[in-house]
Amino acid sequence: MQDFPPRIATFFTGTGDAPTPDPDTRSPAAFLRWMLRQQWQVIALSSLACLLWLMPLTFGPYIFGRAVDEGILGGSTPHLLTWSAVMLGVVVVGGVFGVVFHTLVVRTWLISLYGTTQMVTRKIAQMGHVLPRRSPTGEVLSVASSDSDEFGALTEVLARSAAQLVSYLTVAAIVLSMSWELGVLVLVAAPVLLGAALPLLRPLHRRQQTERSRNSELTSMATDIVAGLRILRGIGGEETFGRNYAAQSQAARRAGVSSGIWQAVVEAVGVLLSGVFLVSLVWLGTRQVVAGELTVGQLISFLGYGLFMVGPIRTFFELAQKSTRALVSARRAIAIFEQRPPWREPDRPVPLDGTAEIVDDLSGFTARPGLLTVVVSAVPEQSAALADRLGRYLPPDTDPVGEDEAEGLKGRAARRARADRERRRARIAARDEEAATREWGVRLGGVDLSAARLDDVRRTVLVSDTGSGLFAGTLQDAVDPHGRLTREQAEQALRVANAEDVYDALPQGWQGQLDERGRGLSGGQRQRVVLARALAVDAPVLVLVEPTSAVDAHTEARIAARVADLRRGRTTVVCTVSPLWLHHADRVALLRDGVVVAEGEHADLLERDAAYREVVVRALEDEGVPQ
Amino acid sequence: MTDLLATSPDTWRDRALDPPAVPPELLPPADATPWERNRALWERHDLRRQRAEAVYEASRNPERGWPVSGNRAVLTFFRDLLSTRKGMFTALVVVNALAAATGLVVPRLLGELVNTTVDGGGLPLDTLALAIIGVVVLQAAFTFVAQRTSTVFGQDLLSTAREYIVRTILRLPLGAVESASTGDLVTRVTRDVGTMSRSVQYGLPMAIISLLTVVLSIGAMLLNSVVLAVPALLTFATSAPAVRRYLRRAPKGYITEGATYSRINTTLTETVEGARTLEALGLPGERVRAGDDDIEVSAQAERYGMTLRNVLFAALNFAFQTPRVVTLLVGAYAYSRGWVDLGQITAAVLYVEALGDPLDRLIGEVDRLQVGAASTSRLLGIAEVRPDREAGDRLPDGVDLVGTDLRFAYREGHDVLHGVDLRLGVGERLAIVGPSGSGKSTLGRLLSGINRPRTGSASVGGVELVDLPLEVLRTEVALVTQEHHVFIGSVRDNIVLAREDSDDDAVREALRAVGSLLWVERLPQGLDTVIGSGRYALTPAQAQQVALARLIIADPHTLVLDEATSLIDPRTARTLEGSMNNLLEGRTVVAIAHRLHTAHDADRIAVVIDGRIVELGSHHELVELDGEYAALWRAWTS
Ligand SMILES: Nc1ncnc2c1ncn2[C@@H]1O[C@H](COP(=O)(O)OP(=O)(O)OP(=O)(O)O)[C@@H](O)[C@H]1O
Ligand SMILES: [Mg+2]
Repeated sequence: MQDFPPRIATFFTGTGDAPTPDPDTRSPAAFLRWMLRQQWQVIALSSLACLLWLMPLTFGPYIFGRAVDEGILGGSTPHLLTWSAVMLGVVVVGGVFGVVFHTLVVRTWLISLYGTTQMVTRKIAQMGHVLPRRSPTGEVLSVASSDSDEFGALTEVLARSAAQLVSYLTVAAIVLSMSWELGVLVLVAAPVLLGAALPLLRPLHRRQQTERSRNSELTSMATDIVAGLRILRGIGGEETFGRNYAAQSQAARRAGVSSGIWQAVVEAVGVLLSGVFLVSLVWLGTRQVVAGELTVGQLISFLGYGLFMVGPIRTFFELAQKSTRALVSARRAIAIFEQRPPWREPDRPVPLDGTAEIVDDLSGFTARPGLLTVVVSAVPEQSAALADRLGRYLPPDTDPVGEDEAEGLKGRAARRARADRERRRARIAARDEEAATREWGVRLGGVDLSAARLDDVRRTVLVSDTGSGLFAGTLQDAVDPHGRLTREQAEQALRVANAEDVYDALPQGWQGQLDERGRGLSGGQRQRVVLARALAVDAPVLVLVEPTSAVDAHTEARIAARVADLRRGRTTVVCTVSPLWLHHADRVALLRDGVVVAEGEHADLLERDAAYREVVVRALEDEGVPQ
Repeated sequence: MTDLLATSPDTWRDRALDPPAVPPELLPPADATPWERNRALWERHDLRRQRAEAVYEASRNPERGWPVSGNRAVLTFFRDLLSTRKGMFTALVVVNALAAATGLVVPRLLGELVNTTVDGGGLPLDTLALAIIGVVVLQAAFTFVAQRTSTVFGQDLLSTAREYIVRTILRLPLGAVESASTGDLVTRVTRDVGTMSRSVQYGLPMAIISLLTVVLSIGAMLLNSVVLAVPALLTFATSAPAVRRYLRRAPKGYITEGATYSRINTTLTETVEGARTLEALGLPGERVRAGDDDIEVSAQAERYGMTLRNVLFAALNFAFQTPRVVTLLVGAYAYSRGWVDLGQITAAVLYVEALGDPLDRLIGEVDRLQVGAASTSRLLGIAEVRPDREAGDRLPDGVDLVGTDLRFAYREGHDVLHGVDLRLGVGERLAIVGPSGSGKSTLGRLLSGINRPRTGSASVGGVELVDLPLEVLRTEVALVTQEHHVFIGSVRDNIVLAREDSDDDAVREALRAVGSLLWVERLPQGLDTVIGSGRYALTPAQAQQVALARLIIADPHTLVLDEATSLIDPRTARTLEGSMNNLLEGRTVVAIAHRLHTAHDADRIAVVIDGRIVELGSHHELVELDGEYAALWRAWTS
């Protein structure tokens, strides 16, 4: 039987665990079914425990009735004691299983909650840079942090409803065995009561939806305020956005009051209906007692059961509400989980040779093996695009499509909007797939990158782009995230990246804590630690994009010299226009409009190519004459 | 030169010795007798309690990140909220009491009915049935009014509470905002506000209702028959110690749970945002493991809470279920003695029976309130961040910015600036250059009044920057970094930040100055178009322009640019250059830059090395001086 945290190994198998099945993403309902099936044993057991927990409610009135008839009215002490003992037994069983039920409910709830979070993490691990192309970050996060909770709530209410249903049928059977008229009344009452309340549920449901969407807007406003807090506190605008938030909060309050009032109507009608039911039960019951068809004890049992009915009905209401919410959440979860990596592993993967020449067909760029090649472009985006191609990354050229846009739309319009979003997402996915499965156009030692396994490509070619950031953790974790370096190797990486001062600035040295994104370091320090991390990986082919844009010239010169030294004999590509790198370049390629227009040695190009000079030369012609 | 890595062997750790996320003592024994298992369970529970207490202690005064407030603050907070709503609160209690009371009349009437049926005495059956119908209708009506009042009350309380929290966040000290992490803050305004909402909105009214019902039921039981009630009540009372213990321990348990969810969220956020980096470095596996570790730790916190509740439930189940048996036995004895009649027994049993539901609810709500209180203390913790400045009432006389003997430390005892003196001429362009990590950005932050210098002063027109009211400060100096953010709100809201009373003409003027009036006017609703995440999306260049337009509105006489333009996409740079020039025109500018073109063009250059200004002068003077700057310039242009 599963326990929490669950063992999940779906989507991503890089941790050595045996894979677990992927979720069913064909429809929200299918997803929920899949999720429930995953832990049916726990749910079934918790349902059983709930049933036993409900025993005092199910059998209590019956036992009491018998005790009154035989023990009190009948005046038989042994009978009284027997029934009291039975009652005590039922109460003890109920008490014990109450605890068991709670334990199991926590278990199913957390299995769903943690399991969903784990699946999200693994989906990111599986998709890598492709996921942010398709889904907005906020939505990925909210599947893990809020939708997962809805799934947990569903498992709980499901187990409880099943138990309530059985217990309700048991009660009906007991009543039926005593008087068929009253039994039929009990059996019919629940559906009738539910049916009578149903027309009220629809407007309630609509109001609750409005309330939920107001609340989720409110949450996104609060998140937005926190995300832009630096600017709000730095430049201003607290008034405006505080006011906007307050206005939205008031709108949410009104929506909440309006749905709450309907809820009150439903509750009151529930009280009224179950009261009417109770009265009918009583009226019929007393008639029968007077007619001698029923004993007093049985009447007392009926009265007890009249009060009992409230429980199952309330639970069924809850089931209906939580299922719809779980369905909405399931739709959002599917939007993430159904994404598939666009890559297809080749049938017969060719191993890559990291010591060979790497050639890009589109730009005509070639990096000779074992040399340091610098790519120069007046437009940095173009050299960054080249770097992406060399590393087999899809270009960052899409607007991710969220699931949360159908604000205020209803019925047909909402469905249309949903279909439209699905189409847009499918279009991006199709485009990705198209780009990822055809010949890639970059060859390493004559092997197109698409003919090799993707992780072979990642192992052989490391691209450190400008978006590379640090993760929270110690300095040691930052430089050696894989945990496979020796201390000497880590020291060397730090020295080559000229980041010894970072070590020095942290009082605990290697164990000094860096915050998320390296906050707490200066801009240049952050960049140098990222560089040290990339160097420490020691990839056969290393592509660095603007590795020193945030450091001063002296530091840059030191880094360029040291990197050139360290990488001697291994292929290295650096995208930059800084002469400090160019001095150490074995070869230089000049890009214009994304195509190599000149190639050669730095000194050579400087001499003969005016366009090249214009991009790289920093000394001002009017040197000496201030402008 | 000393080796900066000299202590490296001492601080390097052997990863093989890293402790597991969860110590082995917290895992259940593999094969053991049931007896040993049971003992191990309680030992684990005890260990988890110690861990929860440690987490709680640590979060009261955290080394980094946001604190958590104490219980007293939470109580005061809610007491204050309630005390301003006394009338509403009284109404809530009264109508709910009425609803509960009418509900309690029903069992009495049913008991009466049984009496009538048994011995034919008392009221006629039909009259009784009608009376019950009447009471039920009344109960339904009261229920409606009571629920309505609760909703209005709960929603009012909730909106006030959350608006208070957001206002608090919007008042957080500038220095704290600049340096602390946002991940935890986001978890607090999402998950914790959600939890607090649920507990305020449903928990509080429901707990009051259930409590009333329980109290009134007990009263009704006593009215019905003292003989039958007293034994039952005594059994109820046995649960008191368990409840007390639970109430003492639960808050720390739930605060610990909250902290683990913050951690899960922070890790996950980093994973999502760093997806590409992780893929490039082959790190997804490590990241998945890190996520699993967080969950493992969270599961331990959840287990602690679960056991706490289980112990409570066991005690409560015993205390509130056994009265069924007790009532039966006592009832039988009392009946045989003629102390009570059958109707009283019936009513007593129905009360005991009916008490189960509100009691279950009460327990559930008390638990929910505990969770809510834990979240509230995490939220109120934000308010405990001490303000880093107190606005004085002096206004600057003049626009000259002067820094004298500036020293600053992020960590106590480690100054990163060592006595910097700097006087900015009005309208001057000053470039700050120097090695990475030498304190340039720090100096920029002091000069723009974001942090208070440890010693010395940074003043404008003779008044300390950090003593200015923020609204004034913003119109004096602005710090411009690469960070920009488009808020969810109208274009106008996104631009008027610094002067929120600006009229549309001013906004249009600002937009024109940065060259974005055209595309803004083409938007579906012009200035009222709602932009920001999930709304109308701007291109990066448009977002940049919005950021510049904000500064035009702020209209500070001095701008501190910290590598503000180094990330601007060169294609947009061309369009932005004009806007930038418009912005800089006629203002004092401090530009921190590694691109020495900026320095070359500046009036003066300050070279910062190791937290000191070592050279100060124009490009030509410094080149002539042939010192640090000259060397830097030579290196840069080589
Ligand atoms: N938030 C912070 N917390 C702790 N230390 C910090 C923080 N910000 C910067 N530091 C430290 O203060 C010193 C100066 O940092 P600062 O950011 O001022 O450097 P800088 O001159 O701007 O460097 P760069 O050119 O790399 O941006 C560095 O040693 C840095 O590690
Ligand atoms: Mg800096």
